[in-house]
Amino acid sequence: MHHPSYLGVFLTFARNSLIRDMTFRANFLIEGISSVSWMIMNLGFYTLVYRFTPSIADWDKYEFFVFISTTMFVNSLVQAFFMPNAQELSELVRTGGLDFALLKPIDTQFLVSLQRVNWASLGNFFVALLLLAYAVPRIEGFELSPWHFLLYPLYIVLGVFILYSVMIALAATSIWLGRNQSLYDFWFYITNFSRYPMEIYEGTWGTPLRQLFTFVVPILVVINVPARIMAKPLVSDQVFLASFAMLATAISLLGSRWVFKQALLSYRSASS
Amino acid sequence: MIKAGAKARGQQSSKPCPSTFRPDLYPDAHWSAYNLLIMSAIKIRGLKKSYRVYRKKEGLLASITGLFQRDYREVDAVKGIDLDVEQGEFVAFLGPNGAGKTTTLKLLSGVISPTGGAASVLGHTPWLRENEYRRRFALVMGQKNQLWWDLPAQESFRLHQKIYRIDSSEFQRTRDELVDLLEVGQLLGQPVRELSLGERMKMELTAALLHSPDVLFLDEPTIGLDVIAQHNIQKFLKHYQAMRKITILLTSHYMKDVAALCRRVVIIAHGEIVYDGSLAGIVDRFSSHKVLTLHFAEERMPSDLARYGEVLEIVEPKAKLRVDRSSIAKVLSSVLANHAVEDVSVEDPPLEEVIADMFALTAKNQADKVAAESLTPSP
Repeated sequence: MHHPSYLGVFLTFARNSLIRDMTFRANFLIEGISSVSWMIMNLGFYTLVYRFTPSIADWDKYEFFVFISTTMFVNSLVQAFFMPNAQELSELVRTGGLDFALLKPIDTQFLVSLQRVNWASLGNFFVALLLLAYAVPRIEGFELSPWHFLLYPLYIVLGVFILYSVMIALAATSIWLGRNQSLYDFWFYITNFSRYPMEIYEGTWGTPLRQLFTFVVPILVVINVPARIMAKPLVSDQVFLASFAMLATAISLLGSRWVFKQALLSYRSASS
Repeated sequence: MIKAGAKARGQQSSKPCPSTFRPDLYPDAHWSAYNLLIMSAIKIRGLKKSYRVYRKKEGLLASITGLFQRDYREVDAVKGIDLDVEQGEFVAFLGPNGAGKTTTLKLLSGVISPTGGAASVLGHTPWLRENEYRRRFALVMGQKNQLWWDLPAQESFRLHQKIYRIDSSEFQRTRDELVDLLEVGQLLGQPVRELSLGERMKMELTAALLHSPDVLFLDEPTIGLDVIAQHNIQKFLKHYQAMRKITILLTSHYMKDVAALCRRVVIIAHGEIVYDGSLAGIVDRFSSHKVLTLHFAEERMPSDLARYGEVLEIVEPKAKLRVDRSSIAKVLSSVLANHAVEDVSVEDPPLEEVIADMFALTAKNQADKVAAESLTPSP
């Protein structure tokens, strides 16, 4: 029996999404421009902050710009590939459209996670590239090594996987709940936490918070690990966190798959 | 001595008995041929599905208490049905809304899991959702669409090609054949949202049949379509089924669909199968009366027609009576003996009417049953 070609199916999804996005050109442009300008405003805000302080929790201006571009890489990838699908899942459950996904001879999680690609969100990916190219040479004592080229993209991808896992597990709960519209809010809270250096979470409240979002819901490692790899010297104390990030990714992916499968078992479908 | 005897008996009993098949004694090829011979395409035993639904009370206060304490009710959508469908049969599933038809189709396509019982379609248990099974059937729902709304149908077809991994030449051949039969060739490049309901249904059918399924489940494929579009879909289904000999289960509210397509009809009401047989058989089984039309000689219409049966209509010089099936011969001879009648016809009541009456009757029985149950004090 031949298996479906997952790559072939994904490319068709990507292609169909692009054709669709192009049909609504104006919408596509507005979406791209608005997300890019939101990030540029953000950047302006931090430039202002750094006029008053030389560093935040040991991150100086250009190091922090690397941190921001890392955030932009991860967010644009998640928003392009997974966000529209996770949102759609709740809708598919409510309307019974998930029926069709269950009929297809292909992994259901793959199908519902990737059927839409939001190309407009990739605009920020290119802005992030520019920002990275601008900030990295300006970091004091920075020396580019082959490790950067290997580890930085790898940990960005792992970070995307962690966020995807949280997102799909959350979206899958709508199969039990019938409806779960808190996804967007939740996404906002999560990214709000993850987009700052973990050193700022210190003290009576900060430390437990950091431990919670590192070891229980590992969203702090998503941006922090790749950003440190790029912005800070590659020294041995990064090894622990980097190894942990790998483990966290594996556990998140497996955990979210388990949640998804459990949820599918109790799918009720909507009446016709 | 004793040992030898036991051995001899043992040898005898290990021979395959002609009446029971021992698959372990035969190579695989024989086994699958045997499967084909004896297995129905669809086999259902005691299939049950019940849902727990939240009984919402009226009003805001009740909604707030509902947040903390919920009152649930079990709804039995399918109550232990048995059914066998042979390979190549075209079977209609009839029943009022909420009878359990769609639930049954969803169980058979593995979209939902049952609460009890067993089913096998082409040798697979549907709710295990094996890819091997999912490659061999299709489900088309008249009320839902699976094509990409903003894209031309051909893009969705291409996606199906990838998902089902149909090779290019095969894909093109099947697509062209379906598109020709359904006469939608010129619409392939138009976004689905711009198509009429009938055209969209044709595209849905094409998409569902691209991978040449062996079993097809159709849930009200003609719902909302005008007469011509309905007729076109019927014509296509009839032709396609005759050509490919696939097994089809169809649910529909339109008796015309059923009459045109299916020799076998299964009626389901309140989650139970109440009839399984031919369309014509429904009338014999469920209709207690016939319609007698009398054409009287001029000015000779009797005034006491009611003694022969229930008067349905009088348009002089014609009268229509509803007469008990059992007394039709007696009534007829008495009418002919006592009155000057020019013409007579005896007909079965229209099928729609018989079925509607039957549904009403089962609904009433059900309501009575529920009422009786609620009267008995719970332990």
